[in-house]
Order: sequence, then structure tokens, then C-alpha cells
Amino acid sequence: MALRRSRNVLFSLSALYLFLLVTVAIAAPLVAPYSPTDQFLDRRFHAPDARNPLGTDDFGRDILSRLMYGARPALTVGIVAVSIALALGGVVGLLAGMGTRLIDQALMLIMDSILSFPTILLAITVVSFMGYGLVQVMVALGIISSPVFARLVRAETLAIKSEGYIEASRALGTGPVKLVFRHVIPNIMSKVIVQSSLTFAQAVVVEASLSFLGVGIQPPAASWGLMLKDARNYLMQAPWMAIFPGVALALTVLSFNLVGDSLSERFNPRLNEAR
Amino acid sequence: MKIVPKKGFIVGMLALFALCAVAAQSATLVFGLSGNPDTLDPQKTAGTLTFQVDKSFYDTLVEPDQTGKIVPALAQSWSISPDGLVWTFNLRKDVNFQNGQVFTSKDVKATLDRIMDEKMASPKRSEYAAIKSIRTPDAYTVVLTLSQPYAPLLATLASGWSAILPSELIASGHNFAAEPVGTGPFKFDKWIRDSKITMVRNDKYWIKGTPKLAKVEFQIIPERAVQVQGLSLGSIDALEFVDPDDLPMLQANPKVTIKKELSSLIMVMAMNCAREPLNDLRVRQAVNYAIDKQTVLDIAYGGGRVGSTFLDTGNPYYSDFSSLYPYNPDKARQLLKDTGVGNREFTIAVPQNYPLHVKAAELMQQMLAKVGMNVKIQLMDWSTWLSSVYTGGNFDFTVIGHTGKLDPDGTLAGYGAGKYVHWYNATAAAKIKEAATVSDFGARKKLYTDALEIMAKDVPFVYIGTSYRYVGTRSNVFDFRMTPSLDSFDFRWTELR
Repeated sequence: MALRRSRNVLFSLSALYLFLLVTVAIAAPLVAPYSPTDQFLDRRFHAPDARNPLGTDDFGRDILSRLMYGARPALTVGIVAVSIALALGGVVGLLAGMGTRLIDQALMLIMDSILSFPTILLAITVVSFMGYGLVQVMVALGIISSPVFARLVRAETLAIKSEGYIEASRALGTGPVKLVFRHVIPNIMSKVIVQSSLTFAQAVVVEASLSFLGVGIQPPAASWGLMLKDARNYLMQAPWMAIFPGVALALTVLSFNLVGDSLSERFNPRLNEAR
Repeated sequence: MKIVPKKGFIVGMLALFALCAVAAQSATLVFGLSGNPDTLDPQKTAGTLTFQVDKSFYDTLVEPDQTGKIVPALAQSWSISPDGLVWTFNLRKDVNFQNGQVFTSKDVKATLDRIMDEKMASPKRSEYAAIKSIRTPDAYTVVLTLSQPYAPLLATLASGWSAILPSELIASGHNFAAEPVGTGPFKFDKWIRDSKITMVRNDKYWIKGTPKLAKVEFQIIPERAVQVQGLSLGSIDALEFVDPDDLPMLQANPKVTIKKELSSLIMVMAMNCAREPLNDLRVRQAVNYAIDKQTVLDIAYGGGRVGSTFLDTGNPYYSDFSSLYPYNPDKARQLLKDTGVGNREFTIAVPQNYPLHVKAAELMQQMLAKVGMNVKIQLMDWSTWLSSVYTGGNFDFTVIGHTGKLDPDGTLAGYGAGKYVHWYNATAAAKIKEAATVSDFGARKKLYTDALEIMAKDVPFVYIGTSYRYVGTRSNVFDFRMTPSLDSFDFRWTELR
């Protein structure tokens, strides 16, 4: 019981953090004290104080403002990448699950071959072909994350397909399209939502990594990965440059994972019964 | 019982101290080299690392001193005929190769023949193209006859690729790539690839009383953080280059000495003069007025001397034109208004393997934004930069550093007739071409000054300036010298105290 309560508290805290993050990202121009790109060259490497609550960086830019604006690309990349992955992976998964053996094998072969590459490596390859930038990162991440959804949807579809009520519905003459929309999709939604939150967390990390490597968001725009890239050279001199974006990144990823876990528990009927 | 390991520890520490003391007496200097040279044969590569290491094994006929002036070395004097076609070198008579062979004019001829041989495929071969014949009237005189006057030849003869090799070993097909033999201050000891190169003192070196060190060890350390750690902990005695970002940490260490000297780099933001609207002089002027060069130098490059034309500011051929375009954002705004640039988007392309250039780009992007220009930054890897920007001409602005050459022709040749900035000026191009045929310093300087003035006025670049270079050594290292114009180091006078 105590364990479950503490889990609930964690879930609430995570959800609250994510809500705040989204609010700040949307309202950044209103709440940020400075523009994220304004340089104050007479205030370089300033430790946190009243004027700059989280300190300044090597150009005298306000870290708090950059952190707030940096939430925008992180969340945008997450949303767009997950949407692309979901659309692509979902369609492929449904086709594979509902189609013939040949279609199934062909589609899953493609998906598995994408899955066989390490995420960051594949992302860098895609970005190198399409050029560096935010849009490219989103598309690359969407494509790379699609196999996870394809596999999930396919497996769930196959399982549902053999259920008695589907066979009954089919015997009554329901066509495959209607079958998918009426029975399959509603039944796999919960798992897809859980997977989305996990993929979202991964997308945030990969965006930061690509920007850290210089192939993602281009300076001087604010991105947590870029902030960490700048901070790397001044760890001794100005540790606040690394600490705050690092903490923001870690909290965001942690929150998405915790929310995902909680959701998966809530949606899982078997676990609910066990309670 | 507890005391025993402590005793052992103390004894061990004492032994360690004793070892350190012995090491200090034998005077081995450990130097952090940034990479593994591809070869040690000075005639088979264009790689800086090779020439940096070979500088200690070999000598050249003439050499640059620390200010970049060319002074006698293996040739104690030289003269050039008034028409610039006959160059006579008088050689020193007290020089021996490390294998015992006596140095004579035969070695000079054999060396030059070797590098001019097509089969050697030296990337520097074209620099010797003006030489028509090499005569050796006696053992200590060499006469070069040129097909046309070519002043930059002197700088070529002072460069690492003109290192003099022993004729006997050239004839016997010695493998210079793996085992250098020259007249230099240090003898080759061994080379463990990707790990270290060691060399020992040449007791018969022709400058009496040098070298002072018994041994030099080049530790090959590509990673910057490891180099800096090595210097601060004492496993490395000297580093050729300290990044401005690492300065605060090293300067706080009492056992490390940082020396600041002007580099030979020419930091610029190049503008694509073939592109609208940068083909309009007024727009390029506006960009120049908008940039606070001293700030860019100080913050991005760790300080330096502001430039005003396309040559390193420490170069003897440099002239100052800084009164032309002082920092004046109001004037920039006015010019931009006059030309109607408006909200047009520009891109600064920057090779991201040079973090200092990226930083400079971020500063200039803001300065240009302040005068109302809409500028974006585009990072790219080095090979993309080379193919797309440098050879492809596909850019608006780019931030880069040109290495100053020993001879101004090396820097300026081809400008006025295109190059990557697509800047065309027939007068400047003609002056630069003519200057390469004149040997007299005064007459040459006049021609270069004319050309440099045109480049300063017509601004195909924002001339940011020449940055300082920070050399780091342990505090017990004395007289470690850099030859900035060759980018190489000189251990002849170095001492460990």
C-alpha cells in the first residue's frame, strides 16, 4: 500500500512538472526575463544572482531564459517525432497484423532492419543527408522510432484478431476496415499511449544529443543540448552553465518515464485485478 | 604490525622522489604533440606534424627567426643577381651529418634533385618549379639558376620541406620516412607509432653550446583535455598550443608558465562577393562597420591585434588601414538603409570542428542583428565546409582563419582573381603577381602595400585580426621557442632548470 501511495505521489509530481514545463514552453516570451539570444558581454560567466537567477553563460546570456526557450525545441521534437512514429509505425503494424503472411514478413523485415541500427548513429546519418536543423531532427527521429510502434501494434493486432468476438463480428460480415476502427484500435490504444510517453522521453534525449554534437538545432537558438555543449568547456569556471540544463533534461526524461510506467499499470487489466 | 606498510610506503615515496631527481638531471623534455605524423620524410608530405618533428633532425639553408625574418643557417651567406635569376649560396664548413658524413654542396644538390624529381611526388614540388639548374662550383658553393625571377623561393628554402638530407644515404635509398638522418640538433632515437617519438642530443651540432637538452620525447596526445591535464600534473613539460578556454585553469597553477605571443593567423569573416547583395560594396562596408573586431578577438580568440587587411598583423609586409572602417553601428545602419537590404536572410557558414570560429560567428551574428540584419548560423563538418563553401562557393558569410605564410605570396597569390570570396580586381591581382618576381624588400613591400590597400578598401572580408597564441610550459622550462611563421618549435636553446 505504502509503495502504491509513493508511486501515486511520484506520478502526480511528474505530471505536475510536465504541466509546468509545457506551460513555460508555450508562454516563454511572456515569462522569460530576457531574450534567449541577447548577449551581455560585460556579464559573462556571472554566477546566479538577483539579476540572473540561474547565472549567465560565456556570452553573458541569461541561463534561465535560455532554459525556458530551450523547452520549446525539446517538446516540439518530442510531439512531432512521436506523431510521425505513431502514424508510420501504426499503419505498418496494422497492415502487417491484418494482412497476409507475405505482407507481414516484408513490412516487418524493413522495420526490423531500421531497428538494428543504434538510434543516435542512425539519426546522425539521416541528418547528415538532409542537413542540420530542427525539422530534420524531427523527421529523422520519427522514422527511427516507428519500428517500436509497428512491432507493438502488430503484436496486439495479431492477439486481438484471434479473440472470439472478432471472429463473431467477422462471421456477421464486418469488413476489415471497419473491424480495425471499431475493435482493434480502441483495444490497443492504452498500450500505444504508454509507448508514446517512453518514445517522447527518448526523443527529448536524442534532440539534446544531436544538438550537443552540433548537428541538431543551430546556434544561437536555445536548446538544452546546445547549452550543455557550450558548458562543457567551462565546468570548472562556470558549473551552473552545465548543471541547470542537465537537471532540466534529467527531470523531463524521468517524468515522462514515470508517467509512462504509471499509465501502463493503470491500463493493464491483469495488474488491476491483482490489486 | 600497522607500521610496516607505512614504512614501505615512505620508502617507496623516497625512491620515487629519487627517481624524479635523476630524471631532472638527465634533462629530458617531454612535449605534447597533437597527432601522429604520417611520415618523417620531409619531402613526401605537406603535413605540419612532420615538419614540426623534423625541425629537430634537420637544418635548412636559410631559416626564419622568431620574427619571421629569414636568416642564415647551413648557408652562411647568399646573394641574388640583379635580374633575380642567379642565386649563390656560400655554405658553412663545420657541419656534419648525424651519420658522420661531412656536409657539402653535393648534399644540397642531391636534396633539391630529390624533391624536384617527379617520382618523389612531393606535394611541395611546384614551389621549386622556377629552378632551371643547380651547379656546385666547389664543395661549399651552390648556384641556382632560375627560369624566371621568383622571390618566394627563399621562403621555400627556409621551410621544413627544404630540409637538407645526406647525399650518400639518398644514393643508397635510405628509408627517410621511418628513420631521419640530418644535420640537426637532435638525433633520431625511436618512433613508436601513435605513442611517442624520442630523440637524443647531437653532440657535434654546429651551433656550439647547443642543444642544451639531453633528450626530447614527443608524446603523441590528440585529446586536448589529456594534454592540459598532462601539463598541469607535470607528465608533459611543454605544449605548443593552449586553448583560450583552458587558460584560467592553467594560469592558476604555479607550476605552469603561459607565454603569450602573436600567432601568424589571419582571422576573417569572408563574404561571397558574387552573391546579391554582397556584391554591392556598400553592403560589405556596412558589415565591416557593424563588427566590433576587438571584442570578437578578445572573447572568441583569447585576444590579439585587430586587423585591417589580408595579412597577419605581425608580418613585415603588413600595413595598417584600420582608420578605414572603425566600429560604427550607426553608419552601418545608414548604409543598409540606403542599399535596401531589408529583412533579407543571410547565413554564416562555420566549420564546427573549430569552436573558436563558432564562437566568433555567434558574436558577429548578434552584432549584425543589432544593426538590423537577419543572419543565421549554419554549422557544418570540415569536409562539407571544404567542398561546399571553400571550393563550391556556396555561402554568404563564413568565419575562418588563414595561416600566415613565410612569404606573403603564399597568402596572397590568386586574390583579386577570384579565390573562394569571388573577389575580382585586376589592379590588385597584377600587383600581387608582380611582387612575386621582385626580390628587393622595399620594392616588394611597395607592391604588396598597394594591393593590400585595395583589399582593405574593397573589403571582400571582415578582417578580424591576428590572435595571440598561448604556449604552455612547466615553470622549470626555459627558452622554449616557437617559430610562428613555420608553426614549428625550436628546442635548441631550451633548458630544464
